[in-house]
Amino acid sequence: MKLLATTTRYYLLLTAGLFMVASVLLYLGLDWALRSEVEEQLVNRELYLRALVARGRPLPATPFAYQLDRRPRPRALGFSDTLLLDPLEQEMVPYRELTFQLRPGDPAGALEWITLRKSLVETEDVLGVVLGVMLGVLALLLAGVVTLNRWLARRVWKPFQHTLAALRAYDLHRHQPLGLPTPAIEEFAELNQALNQLSQRLVADYESLREFTENAAHETQTPLAIIQAKLEQLLQAPVLQEDEQLTTLLSDALGGTQRLSRLHQSLTLLTRLENHQFAPTQAVPVYLDQVLRDRVALLEPLLEARQLTLTLHADLPLPPLTLHPGLADSLLQNLLHNAIKHNHPGGRVDVLLNRRMLEISNTGPALSVDPAQFFERFRKHNAASDSPGLGLSIAQHICSYYGFGIEYAYAQAGTRHTLRVQFC
Amino acid sequence: MKVLIVEDEPALRAALVEYLTQDGFRCEQAAGYAAAHEKVKLYEYDAVLLDLTLPDGRGLDLLRTLKADRSAAGVLILTARDALADKLAGLELGADDYLTKPFHLAEVSARLRAVLRRRHFEGQPKVEFAGIVVDLATTAVTVHGQPVILTRKQYELLLYFLAHPGRVLTKEALAEHAWGDGVDAVDSFDFIYTHLKNLRQKLQEAGGGQYLRTVYGLGYQLLDPDA
Repeated sequence: MKLLATTTRYYLLLTAGLFMVASVLLYLGLDWALRSEVEEQLVNRELYLRALVARGRPLPATPFAYQLDRRPRPRALGFSDTLLLDPLEQEMVPYRELTFQLRPGDPAGALEWITLRKSLVETEDVLGVVLGVMLGVLALLLAGVVTLNRWLARRVWKPFQHTLAALRAYDLHRHQPLGLPTPAIEEFAELNQALNQLSQRLVADYESLREFTENAAHETQTPLAIIQAKLEQLLQAPVLQEDEQLTTLLSDALGGTQRLSRLHQSLTLLTRLENHQFAPTQAVPVYLDQVLRDRVALLEPLLEARQLTLTLHADLPLPPLTLHPGLADSLLQNLLHNAIKHNHPGGRVDVLLNRRMLEISNTGPALSVDPAQFFERFRKHNAASDSPGLGLSIAQHICSYYGFGIEYAYAQAGTRHTLRVQFC
Repeated sequence: MKVLIVEDEPALRAALVEYLTQDGFRCEQAAGYAAAHEKVKLYEYDAVLLDLTLPDGRGLDLLRTLKADRSAAGVLILTARDALADKLAGLELGADDYLTKPFHLAEVSARLRAVLRRRHFEGQPKVEFAGIVVDLATTAVTVHGQPVILTRKQYELLLYFLAHPGRVLTKEALAEHAWGDGVDAVDSFDFIYTHLKNLRQKLQEAGGGQYLRTVYGLGYQLLDPDA
């Protein structure tokens, strides 16, 4: 729910409550005031009548009999409410009446109970008008609050909307801090200032991370190159020809260096992919079927050694994709290599390429890992494997770099593994 | 063949100098941009082995100097940085080849030889070793006068061996030489095994005896079977 809708809702609840209480109080107050007024008038009339009688004058006749009721029998004294029929409008009308005792005529005359009445219809009308006005004002006020908030949302919250849009569009890879303006409203100004500082820190951290990655790559490749060169020099030592133990040691050391070097290359590639450090200007139209054919040709000895059969179906002609050639090559290499590595001798690798997707499926032992973790780094199907387990992670990163979908599926009781790359 | 090795890491420079000297190159070394600049201005080289990141200057600037001087030297770039931009810049400026660290010393030597062959179209377009003769122009191979038909990969592997007679070449170096960077070191044996087996067999059938010796756990060595 929007902030404004929320605040407006509370405003409305509060004003409606206040108006209800105010209306009740006003009603009661007015009612009390009008009744007092009516009673005061009745009392005044009583005093007037008593004064008349005291001066020996007869009670005046009124045109409306109900206003002055004279009865010889006793009645309850004091104020009371009653309803009388209005003969004209044929409806019951409320009256306030005051009854008192009086001896009209002479002081020794018979005691009479005089009842004075005054209509309350006017006071009810007044109350009606008052309540109507109150409710009208309430409705106007509520409508006003809603309209005002709408207007505020458009005007006062404009800097906030602007900030939000800027944040949504923000891309760290452009290496630019946010640069939000300072609006007149203090809270928004503070928010923008805090966000500007945050983005400046982010850009600085990102830059230093990038530099670190580059330097780390450079600084570790050189010692690696030294180790490898020295080991290869050692290879030529004549003493090696006789000592098999030494040969094994050297072989293991060389193997370790190679693995470290591969691992390093893969991690550098992953980092560069994550940092989007492949300039779009280096992307060229790539015909995937050609790259695929080249790759398959390169892998021929490996297929032969594992007695694997590879079939390749490409729906020609295929439109070229605009890719970084190194990345396209790396993607196909990693996918093909995965299909060959996790196969069993005499198995199959089937490659299908068309406009929409590339599908590489292979036979192989059932998976021991959760398919959801398939693309995680250092995820190995076989813990004893020499491979660092980065191939599929690299493939996935290249796919997400170009917005391709990549998914894994298996069938035939988990012995047929399929990796599918969707180009659009 | 005179080669200038421009590399700031002393250990790596020493290894390169020693290996290449053994392979028959005359090596001179420079530890930084200034020293290298002075040397290329003063002397003529057949090839320059150039590290792109030097402590006192950019390797690419040295390459520019060489090209501006219309130097005949072939240039092989060596660098830890596998940034494509640098590689492209280097090749555009006229470098002949490019190797990223870490590299196999045997590969450096083979590439240098290839650069020199391309540059100078050397007077002896034939490589010979203990009865094996390879005509580089026609790619014809004979063993004791008997023609041997090789596949392309077998030919490449044989040339690599011939460039380093007596040297132990690791299976990784062999696989990378023939199949490029894409080969996973883990699979290198699978890559070369069949090809080497067939190459060995063909050389033997042509009456050459056992040229290729397996060095247990490490790789292979080209030896004169009659020695």
